[in-house]
Amino acid sequence: MSVVAQRILLELWHTRRSLVFWVLFPALMLLLFGLIYADGEGTGDSFDDMAPSILIGAALFFSCLSGVITVLVGERERHTLKRVLLSSLSGRDYFMGIVAAFCVIAAGQAVIVYGIAYAFGGRYHGSLLLGTVIVILSVMAYVGVGFFFGARFAKSTEEVNGPVSAIGVPLLVLGGTFFPPDMLPSYLYKATHLNPVFHMNEALREVSAMGAGWAAVADHLLFLAVFAAASLLAGTRSYQRMMAREARL
Amino acid sequence: MTSEAAPAAGATTPVLAVRDLKIAFAGRPVLDGLTFEVASGEVYGLLGPNGAGKTTCINITCGLLGADAGSARVAGLAPGEGARREIGVVPQEIALYRQLTCMENLLFFAGAHDVAVQRRRERAERCLEAVQLGDRADDLVATLSGGMHRRLNVAVGLVHEPLLLILDEPTVGLDLEARQLSWELIETLRRTGTTILLTTHYLEEAEALCTRIGIMAGGRLAAEGEMAELRGRIPAAELGVIHAENPGEIERRAEGLGFEYRTAGDAVTVWLPERRRLEQVAEDFAGLSVRSLSVRPVGLEQIYQEVTAVSGRLAV
Repeated sequence: MSVVAQRILLELWHTRRSLVFWVLFPALMLLLFGLIYADGEGTGDSFDDMAPSILIGAALFFSCLSGVITVLVGERERHTLKRVLLSSLSGRDYFMGIVAAFCVIAAGQAVIVYGIAYAFGGRYHGSLLLGTVIVILSVMAYVGVGFFFGARFAKSTEEVNGPVSAIGVPLLVLGGTFFPPDMLPSYLYKATHLNPVFHMNEALREVSAMGAGWAAVADHLLFLAVFAAASLLAGTRSYQRMMAREARL
Repeated sequence: MTSEAAPAAGATTPVLAVRDLKIAFAGRPVLDGLTFEVASGEVYGLLGPNGAGKTTCINITCGLLGADAGSARVAGLAPGEGARREIGVVPQEIALYRQLTCMENLLFFAGAHDVAVQRRRERAERCLEAVQLGDRADDLVATLSGGMHRRLNVAVGLVHEPLLLILDEPTVGLDLEARQLSWELIETLRRTGTTILLTTHYLEEAEALCTRIGIMAGGRLAAEGEMAELRGRIPAAELGVIHAENPGEIERRAEGLGFEYRTAGDAVTVWLPERRRLEQVAEDFAGLSVRSLSVRPVGLEQIYQEVTAVSGRLAV
């Protein structure tokens, strides 16, 4: 693993506060919604349905998007980014190190979310490979958006949380994280097809809860791949601009 | 500008060779033909006021900024040829990961500098010992004192065994005690043969720590040399500093006595060609509106003022 990924994971391990919230929040949301949507026949179906969207919306959103912004802002606040720039580490290595760290975090969150779901009768029904691809594309998309905002707009840690909540939480709600999107009015349902969270949720839910294959989720995958590529490109550009700005002692 | 070569020039490649470096920002020249060399084992002090171009010179040396003309080579390597690997930079600010331990910080930066995996821990341990933090290796940086932060900041600059350590204004903003501790650390590094480029605008710092000093003015070196050589810029045994209500009459008396002098505000600094007791100087200027009088050795402060004033006059 790259030194950057190791460093981020070590810092998280030492602080633990973020880790606790990144575990506690999705765990509580899964328990709540899994129990709310449970019917008389038990909790298996409701946890089948909720595990994928809670993983995408309540776990990865806050760890991979807010987390990336926090990492970048923290580097600037502590002046460590300049020091990294003066090392042999390339910008690409640094970028990929952050992606790798958040992929590890995402894997940990997936194990926890599905572990809880399993305890309540939920099961993963589809292709593990396909599910992993969807999760990785989601992580890429979130990391790209995180880089874009973190490198371009956020000046301090305090500036991170407000905008992420104000823009992010409505996207999560519209994307079907907490309730099925077919409950939305038709105009909102149409609009949410432009929401990447919707495609993440739907793709993983179809694979995880219904055992759908590649062909069944192809449209979602295509949207996600394009969005992940675009957000990574935008994130990379913002990051390069930030590097050029920071590259002075 | 002096044209003396660095002590080791000619015999071996200098650790740092800056040649005719030029750069302008928005049409304003910041470096205008800066040339100097740092030989192995030297502590070279690059002096100049804020905005003189010291940090710009470092940025170019590290490859963070491209020069309009000239070159800065470390061990003969340009920034794009691997020079960065040979440079350790200690920035003005504390640049450490507070939620990592001292050891973890050093291991991370060793990795970032491509130190071989099997050598990282050994390098980190040696650097911690060098800055007397060996017993704090497993402590989080957040739990260390300010002085320890400074020392670890230096250790990070050393972890990849650079040929050149750049200390950018290492004591700016520090209180006296912390500054003294930093000086002791730099002195320790000097004794171990570390080659250091130190930028500072504290003259006493350069005087105390540096084996050679370059004084920047107008984007180039206005003077360079060891302290003894620089003292030759002011051909006086000592300086008499006289504060007076009427500096003009002090100047006229000094002229009458055949002394060189420089005036700044109400202070007239008289260049005394030979050592004189305070009472003798007081007699020389008896009967004038003298408010205070002191005799002091020629220091870097006076040399600096003289050099930059001359450079300023030439520039005009």
